[in-house]
Amino acid sequence: MMLTLSSKEMELVRSTLDREPNEAEWKVVDALWSEHCSYKSSKTFLRSLPTTGQGVIMSVEDWQDAGAVDVGDGWALVLKVESHNHPSAVDPYNGAATGVGGILRDIISKGARPIALLDMIRVGGLDAKGKWLLKNIIAGIASYGNSVGVPVVGGELSFDPTYTDNPLVDVACVGVVKASEIVPSVVRTPGLKLVLVGFTGLDGIGGASFASRKLSGMDEIGAVQIADPFAGKILIDATLEVRGKVEAMKDLGGGGLAVAVTEMANGLGARVQLEMVPLRVKGMSPEEIIISETQERMLFAVKSENVQEVCRAFEDYNYPCEVIGEIVSEPRITFTYEGKVVVDLPSQLLLSPPLFVWPMNRKVRTEEVKEVSVREALSTILLHPDLGNKEWAYSQFDYEVGVSTLVKPGQADSAVIELPNGRQIAVKGDANQDLCEVDAYECGKAIVAEAFRNLASVGARGIAAVDHLQFGDPRKPEVYQDFVDSIRGISEAAKFFSVPIVGGKVSFHNEDKNGNPIKPTPLIVMAGLVEGKYLKPRVEEGWLVLLGITRNELRGTLFSRLFGGRGEVARARLMEDLLASELIIKAINESKLTWNKDINKGGLAGSLLPILASGHAVHINTKAVIGTRDPLSILFSESGGRFLVLTDDPQWFHIQASRKGIVASTIGKVTKGKASLFLDDVELPLEREVERYLNMLEEELS
Amino acid sequence: MRTAVLKFPGTTCEEDVVKALRLVKAEAEVVKFNSFDPDRYQGVVIPGGFSFGDYLRAGTIAANSEAMKGVREMADQGKLVLGICNGFQILVESGILKGALLPNLKLRFITKWTYVRVSRKDTPFTRGIKDVLLMPIAHAEGRYYLEDEEEARELAVFQYSNPSGLVVEEVNPNGSVQNVAGIANQAGNVIGLMPHPERASFSKLTPDGSTDGLEILRVFGK
Repeated sequence: MMLTLSSKEMELVRSTLDREPNEAEWKVVDALWSEHCSYKSSKTFLRSLPTTGQGVIMSVEDWQDAGAVDVGDGWALVLKVESHNHPSAVDPYNGAATGVGGILRDIISKGARPIALLDMIRVGGLDAKGKWLLKNIIAGIASYGNSVGVPVVGGELSFDPTYTDNPLVDVACVGVVKASEIVPSVVRTPGLKLVLVGFTGLDGIGGASFASRKLSGMDEIGAVQIADPFAGKILIDATLEVRGKVEAMKDLGGGGLAVAVTEMANGLGARVQLEMVPLRVKGMSPEEIIISETQERMLFAVKSENVQEVCRAFEDYNYPCEVIGEIVSEPRITFTYEGKVVVDLPSQLLLSPPLFVWPMNRKVRTEEVKEVSVREALSTILLHPDLGNKEWAYSQFDYEVGVSTLVKPGQADSAVIELPNGRQIAVKGDANQDLCEVDAYECGKAIVAEAFRNLASVGARGIAAVDHLQFGDPRKPEVYQDFVDSIRGISEAAKFFSVPIVGGKVSFHNEDKNGNPIKPTPLIVMAGLVEGKYLKPRVEEGWLVLLGITRNELRGTLFSRLFGGRGEVARARLMEDLLASELIIKAINESKLTWNKDINKGGLAGSLLPILASGHAVHINTKAVIGTRDPLSILFSESGGRFLVLTDDPQWFHIQASRKGIVASTIGKVTKGKASLFLDDVELPLEREVERYLNMLEEELS
Repeated sequence: MRTAVLKFPGTTCEEDVVKALRLVKAEAEVVKFNSFDPDRYQGVVIPGGFSFGDYLRAGTIAANSEAMKGVREMADQGKLVLGICNGFQILVESGILKGALLPNLKLRFITKWTYVRVSRKDTPFTRGIKDVLLMPIAHAEGRYYLEDEEEARELAVFQYSNPSGLVVEEVNPNGSVQNVAGIANQAGNVIGLMPHPERASFSKLTPDGSTDGLEILRVFGK
């Protein structure tokens, strides 16, 4: 039996029960107390995140469920992010596909119709292993998302050796539901029937524990769930059909039935007859039934009189639907099999794992600095796959399904989707492992700011976010310090922008095979409402205006990943981010720009790629860049608060910026022509870089 | 026209098609595969998606369903039948339309906006229509195949082309014979195509503000 419980935790269980639990009971405790389900090492700090605010309809309850915000006319937007890192390392196709399935069920379990998916993927590089991972991860996401008819509208793709052994596969989903029709995930009254839909099989046995320890390198394929997108589609359609007839619903995720039943009972009790569970294979033991993580299952709490009607919707599709037990007032979780008690544990014990605060220690950062010329740095950065055109990936997604994707993948830094009430939302996911590696606190702030800017770049103002915190082993003091620092940063920025964090997840134990933690990779997914007009950016001839101050900040950037840090850490400047974002939204509404991009990965140089790749040349007068004279910083600094704007009315930006108290400078122009950067009139031909930018992934991965 | 939009388990585009059909004032409704009565409708659309998960082969399980017997009846009576994407796959799998749809040459799913030339205007769907339409494809198995290439060219209603309507190999997204994007039966009342007209029906969703998909769907509004 592979348990992740510590000896102290086991002692606590024994003393509370005053007996030795049987094997099945140990497995139930192990699942519920797993880091994956219990947040025992993170909860103390997660409480500092702002989870409420204007418009929040439903915020996170113990970080288990999706959050919801008001988007007008009685509609709520439901938002959730989750990773499937460990399964994807072992079986990238099924790992990624089931990640999509899981996040979709999180959304439908609130009664919401999923309308868009995002995927944020990080692998080691474009070597043989990275290619194998990436091809299968994209194919897995495509297979599931396309099959269920939910468009993947955006995401991120990053290549960094830190993820060689432990790729990160994050998927986020947004859904819509009338606020009055949101279905809770917990029950409040005893007597309700527990109805399970879907078959239970032998896949994903012990997946929650699997996710709560480092990858062993042994054969762990049995812990990976297998995706069945067709079943997933039936589950979505039928669940949304019956949502008005159920009192509570929960999807079966980590910890299977054990966790779903216990959390749904929420302090009340439950009695489950395991022999009633519809099985995919014969001869499963009661313990296996309890902790199996087979996908495409849902648990409903239903009034007796509604059971038939609920099950009829599933039977229409020949989908199994059975009453497996009921909610009772005595606060015990009891699983029986053919009359014999298999598990009998107090609800409170299962729901109250001991919380941990581990020792912390801030790591000493040293960076090797490599000498590099401006020309060489420019080529290397523009050729980096992190900045490359992602069409190879997103063209595998059915991003048009739903006829609501207004700004599509590859068109801008955020996707824009139309809501049923006619309004539009923008969504984007952002992480920054370079900055987090040097300063997790600044990074926490910066990723919130970046997401806020990305939404502004299409005309939307952030209204809610979810976070996903991905780190190494929390018992390592340097890892834990970064974790705590990043939450502090996220919390501070979220409060500053008044963007509540309505949900989230934590993923620890992301390490390479030598036990080194990945670079800290907290991730933010933010949704915003379009204020007036939205922007479909298009590159045309015009003036380039740079909003914000370019600081000598090359540490924690793509540049420093390649050539080592120089100058200061690339900090977030929240006020500058806010003011510049507001100016961009105003400019979009007054039709003062045709294209803009916030400055982030690869600095000013990185943001020029989409312009150069559209048949244009860029002329930049470096003396007009405000804030630094250092040639490397001018091109590659990733200091926050900046946007690059393409306009035929630069004066408007100068006037508006000075009114707001931020800086704007006309730093050059864009003309039709071959891809060249004229830096103070010196031509740097970039056709090779642009050609590679456009085709790199296609060439490497086809 | 009273138009059924057929929903099989795994169909994903039924609501999108209904939304577009309402723009041309068709009397359209989603009909589940197990409650389809062909006598109640003058037209039927089989929308895109992954019917029965596309298990075995795209469209093949749906092609053998009771509902498709009803579609065949309608086709034989000269009523209008339109299969989009998976719907096209179902029509060829059921033998109502000729040929087969094979995996794309790149062996992967491809979403892309494509131009198609309208090569036949003798069908109720294409009478008096523009010469070149802009619509998106989104499929993994869309490579049209028919052994007799000459026949394929005769049946072809839509062929992938450049923006000015020239049918050239460079713009063939999936390796179809003769760049075939869609075909009709001899009579012209049954059409199947891989591009999605319903996704090219709302100007805010198209790259150039066009609504070429409506040109094809308009016949259901009559």
